[in-house]
Amino acid sequence: MNVWNHAASFDAHRGSLRAWLLTSVRNRCIDYLRGRGGRERQERELQPEVAYALSPTDPWRDVALSLERTAVRDAMASLPAEQRQVIELAYFGGYTHAEIADMARVPLGTVKGRMRLALEKMGSYLRGRGLVDV
Amino acid sequence: MSDHEELESSVAAWVLGALDGDEAETVRSHTEGCPTCREVAAGLRRVVGALPLGVDEVGPPARLRERVLAAAVASRESPALPPAARAVIPRPKVPRPTSLAGVGRRMPAYTAAAVALIALLTGIVIGDVAFHAPQSPPASQVARFTLAGHQEMAGAQATVIDLKRDGLVLVDFRGLPPPGSGRVYEVWLIPAKGNPVRAAVFVPDSNGAKVVLVNQSVDGYTVMAVTNEAGPDGSQAPTQQPQLYGNVT
Repeated sequence: MNVWNHAASFDAHRGSLRAWLLTSVRNRCIDYLRGRGGRERQERELQPEVAYALSPTDPWRDVALSLERTAVRDAMASLPAEQRQVIELAYFGGYTHAEIADMARVPLGTVKGRMRLALEKMGSYLRGRGLVDV
Repeated sequence: MSDHEELESSVAAWVLGALDGDEAETVRSHTEGCPTCREVAAGLRRVVGALPLGVDEVGPPARLRERVLAAAVASRESPALPPAARAVIPRPKVPRPTSLAGVGRRMPAYTAAAVALIALLTGIVIGDVAFHAPQSPPASQVARFTLAGHQEMAGAQATVIDLKRDGLVLVDFRGLPPPGSGRVYEVWLIPAKGNPVRAAVFVPDSNGAKVVLVNQSVDGYTVMAVTNEAGPDGSQAPTQQPQLYGNVT
């Protein structure tokens, strides 16, 4: 509903509709996790009645999604471990760069640099694969 | 490090959502007034937008969809809902029917088969070929078309999936007869005006099926057609009249 009520904030010049939707959902999830138990974030296993695969009503959609998923995963896997780690912690874990610097015991500038390099390398990789528009 | 360099160094973290409130606002404000940082942010943001695509999908429970739709309908009564919320989502223009003006004058020095392909275009414009209108999800980022078989390929068909956002096309062929020893099927894209363009070469499996990836968009083309050509690489120009074809606009 947050996405629905803020639909007017979508700007096509800044990216695709799907990317905007996914980012919006991701941000809400991070906000939700931050609000539960304070700074402690736990992996929550989905309950069986929730975690079931999408019915493949459109096999072509699955093919397209599979191609994209593989490309993005390959891009992440191509990163050096320390760069991949900062992306995972920041984007999927919702940690700030200061928190990541503390956890990794490296300077804040190092974390920022790794973030920039990681995103640039992923962008170059994905553009080369031609499957994801970056 | 200058203030600008300091702020630029934080752009990646900002795009990833890894800055605290005040710092994020500082960087956001800076990028609005700095073309360099704004461009950097735009490029990095596109990559961040792709990150969720690497995650496996998990389906929501059916009742969730009902609840969301009910809430959305109820929210229409709310004055907080922007009336133009849907209008901001851009939709591509539907291409107009092609014109044959000038095709004859520009006819290339091809074989009779190439002429047949152009004649095919004429037939399609007249409406002689059955095709399905593209089925588009919101934002029309995927379009679907159908190729139908004729004559010796009357039992063949193909579904064309145009992944517009990615600039490539998937074609699912079914019911194809064997092309023959040393022969291949060749896919052509035909513009309203101009020569047929080679798109792919393939051999179907023993069931007459094949999924072919065409590494380009069909935008700018009117027809997709398939001919039987000499293998392994096909032909630079079609050597026969196509018997499997359809409209891709």
